[in-house]
Amino acid sequence: MSEEHSGSILAVDFGNVQTRALLIDLVDGFYRLVARGDTRTTAGFPANDARLGLNRVVEQITAVTGRKLLTNDGKIITPEQNDRSGVDTFVTTASTGRTMRTVVVGLVPDVSIASARRALAGTYVEIVEVLSLEDGRSVEQQINAIIGSRPDLIFITGGMEGGAEEPVLRQARAVQQALRLIKGGRKPALLYAGNSVLAPTMRDLFGTLATLFIAPNIRPNLEEEELEGAQAQLALVYNDQQAKRGSFGALTRMSRNGVLPTAQSYNLIADYIGQSTEQNVLTVDIGSAVGILSAYVEDHVTTSIRTDIGLGHSADSLLSTVGAATINRWLPFVTSTNQIRHYALNKTLVPGSVPETIKGIFLEHAFLRAGIGALVEASRPTWGKRLNLAQNTLTPQFDTIIGAGAGLTETGSSGFGTLLLIDAIQATGVTRVQLDTYGVIAALGSLAYTNPEAVVQVLESSSLETAGTVFSISGIPALNRPVLHVRIKTSDGQVIKHHVSGGHIWVYPLGIGKTATVDVSAGRGLSINGKGRVKVTAEGGTVGLIFDGRGRPLPLANDAAGRAAQIPLWIAEITGNPPILIADDWLTDAVDEGMGLDMETEETIRKSKQRGGLFGGGRRKAPAKAEKSVELRPDLRLKDEEPKEELPVRNDLDDLRR
Amino acid sequence: MPYYPDQRYALEMTTIQREQTLPEDAIGSVEVRQGASVNLRDIVARGILPSRYIMVDAAGQMRLKKSEDLGDILKVSVGDLVTAKEVLAEAPKGRRRVVAPVDGIVADINNGQIILQIEPETVELEAGLDGQVIRIQQGQGVVIETYGSVVQGAWGNSRRVIGTLKTEPNSGLESLYGEDLDIQFRGAIVITRRPLRQTGLDVMEDQNLGGIIAPSIEADLIDSVLAVKGAVMLTEGFGSLRMSGLVYNMLNNFNGRQATLEAVQPNRWQTRRPEVIINPSGRGQARAIRPNLNQTLTVGTNVRMTRIPHAGDIGTVVNLPKTPILLENGLKVLCAEVESVTGEKLTVPLANLEVFGR
Repeated sequence: MSEEHSGSILAVDFGNVQTRALLIDLVDGFYRLVARGDTRTTAGFPANDARLGLNRVVEQITAVTGRKLLTNDGKIITPEQNDRSGVDTFVTTASTGRTMRTVVVGLVPDVSIASARRALAGTYVEIVEVLSLEDGRSVEQQINAIIGSRPDLIFITGGMEGGAEEPVLRQARAVQQALRLIKGGRKPALLYAGNSVLAPTMRDLFGTLATLFIAPNIRPNLEEEELEGAQAQLALVYNDQQAKRGSFGALTRMSRNGVLPTAQSYNLIADYIGQSTEQNVLTVDIGSAVGILSAYVEDHVTTSIRTDIGLGHSADSLLSTVGAATINRWLPFVTSTNQIRHYALNKTLVPGSVPETIKGIFLEHAFLRAGIGALVEASRPTWGKRLNLAQNTLTPQFDTIIGAGAGLTETGSSGFGTLLLIDAIQATGVTRVQLDTYGVIAALGSLAYTNPEAVVQVLESSSLETAGTVFSISGIPALNRPVLHVRIKTSDGQVIKHHVSGGHIWVYPLGIGKTATVDVSAGRGLSINGKGRVKVTAEGGTVGLIFDGRGRPLPLANDAAGRAAQIPLWIAEITGNPPILIADDWLTDAVDEGMGLDMETEETIRKSKQRGGLFGGGRRKAPAKAEKSVELRPDLRLKDEEPKEELPVRNDLDDLRR
Repeated sequence: MPYYPDQRYALEMTTIQREQTLPEDAIGSVEVRQGASVNLRDIVARGILPSRYIMVDAAGQMRLKKSEDLGDILKVSVGDLVTAKEVLAEAPKGRRRVVAPVDGIVADINNGQIILQIEPETVELEAGLDGQVIRIQQGQGVVIETYGSVVQGAWGNSRRVIGTLKTEPNSGLESLYGEDLDIQFRGAIVITRRPLRQTGLDVMEDQNLGGIIAPSIEADLIDSVLAVKGAVMLTEGFGSLRMSGLVYNMLNNFNGRQATLEAVQPNRWQTRRPEVIINPSGRGQARAIRPNLNQTLTVGTNVRMTRIPHAGDIGTVVNLPKTPILLENGLKVLCAEVESVTGEKLTVPLANLEVFGR
């Protein structure tokens, strides 16, 4: 794919729930995000045709811009015409659809197969079978295993450059025999990324039996691992698979580069930002079916895709992965394993729905925090090698963290989204937090190969929402005692001093595009990324400068009553709204735990209405009884830190959200 | 901007197109032609499910120097059915021979190896609907078009049954347990308004019910429901959820009618919904109206709410505010104002509304 310069660009991402479109165009010589639209993905019931959603989302852009983008028979007009109809480039990404069932064939589990697993972690696959020299099975058993696993892809690797060829060939011949036996139209694609000397032999073996992709050796020697070439070929395999699927077949023909996997966009963007800033960067997207985490650490980017981590289609598998106890750890009320399971199962049935009740939103966010936490844990080993994390259980400092996915970006408050992100990742040190409110990362990834200039310019034009900069202390701070000493000097010379207490968050609302010199020192026994004092120029945003005095690891209370005192307070401190009051009967075992979703009774709703909602909504009237119940629990709020006295946090982008 | 809500059909007299396919791993053939009329029980496709392969090292057993030489002494060809001990290859004058270790099919002969596939299991695909074959999917199945009524549910146990719809006795489904076999329920698809419990599954077994349509089950009953022979469809989901009034009334109206219950288990890649299709009772096809794929949400649209606290409730859209609304739980999302059947005015996120198909 060669680099090219074009004008208008239509980028569409087909998610499992939402289809999002962005129109990017040259404005005064620079690429800018001009319009956006989103609608439900229509690849499933009842239309079973992704093109219907494409047409709807493009019509939204037409309605906003007045530009006709579709022909009468539903095709994207390319190139752009003199009357401004159409676009020069149409690109698509997708995370929807079936993951590729993949058989990994290699020599040694800890070497070539381990590298293959890491290469595959960058795309939508499910590893259904692994064949190695050490698996102890006969050729007959291996052939049956391949056929029985009904693969979409067979990934053969193994053999170092200049190393022995026969072991790789022996494995390849077993695969060849299996392919000969697979009848009908179900022949899997084959990717070879082993000893490059054998590439011509692989062509001879598989040329007539399967669609063959060849990539550079992912393990040229014991010390080196080169995944990029194989990952690029995997993107092509993914595109090839999508092309075979009904409506996506037509889309692959319509778009410039076919349909690329959305996850690769996160990899590319993390890599770009990491390289350009020379800092550690983490991007995380938790969608309905898939969780993606890309991290740029010490000049190297890695991506993990987990099809068992999602808030909609994958909610139940997320629960299986993390366990009910991990979800419960984030709930400020008493519940049962069965109730948590019911929530997950019902969410899988209506994956695009949103919680309407207070308990529902806490459950949703418990899943979100636990899901991101699991992604971080799964990814840590790949960073560990570079950061020597073995001795440190805390998350390393990421200079920039970007959160994506409706669960994070459509909370109604940038502060709340930021809190969810830093809680789940347990960010340490000094971190700039951004939210991909408009879903630009997916779109930009699809342009990275052909139009990197557009990627750079759109990224630099505030298309990502900057929430602000977070300063987090590590260690266990003393509750309600000053633990972070802050001195902020704004660009207009104003100096603000503040002492943040242990167990609390304090926000200074430094606006979008503004910077300030921040001098922070941590209390005794505490640190900010290993340092006692940090002085930096920090960027504000829709939330501002966030000083997190809660400590790392985050000292969440072990019981619901303790968490009921913590979590609503933290939400209130970062959003600037009154804390939600947790009713007494939510903290006892008196709730009939066998009643499943009946826990969210009309009584609960009535009470929540009296409270005026999670963020108050400006009409909070707490009943006297509820006030009393709060007093009975540990009160973390400082006497001199009433939220009303804090400067209001204005979320400028809120009005732009639909 | 028009909003296109999710659809879950609850439609009387509509045109229904349904794909019927063999299991994904089956290798099969379609037995009907495009345009053919089919009945519920007609076989539309047959296939075989792949079974284990046995590799017979024929060249080795025959002590051949070159594997290519096997061709000269082979007694079978690819595709041949063989029985155990049948000769696969034999040297001139019968000095050496290779015999089949099992009954099976010669799947491949390659590199001196004869590969046998153990006799595979055959599968037959029923039409499941009275209708017309409008499309053939070569080797996989057919698309059948019919007309009738359809009520879709939320979850199923991956079973299909054709039977008579029967509303549960007034005393409830569970009252049938231990009763003398009641012939009217044998093979029937029983509709119960109450959440299904283990006793209900016991009744299913005890009374030989063909299927059950219930609003919900507790999560810990899932494995049991997946293990029963009959089809189970949940109309609402998991927990102690009640059946939507509209769904119950529709199903109740079809009491005694023959229906196909496709208890499809939803997953991320499943393009079908669990549903019950009631074939027409002789009334004209002309009355059937196709579902509207492009139905938008407008004032006056009838909707079903999908999330607690209103899950399963029915109402009518009375207002569509243009700006996002702050919910009680802090989310700020686009909503509709819905008047429920009880007259209550509710503010419900658009994402939590479903329409019925037209």
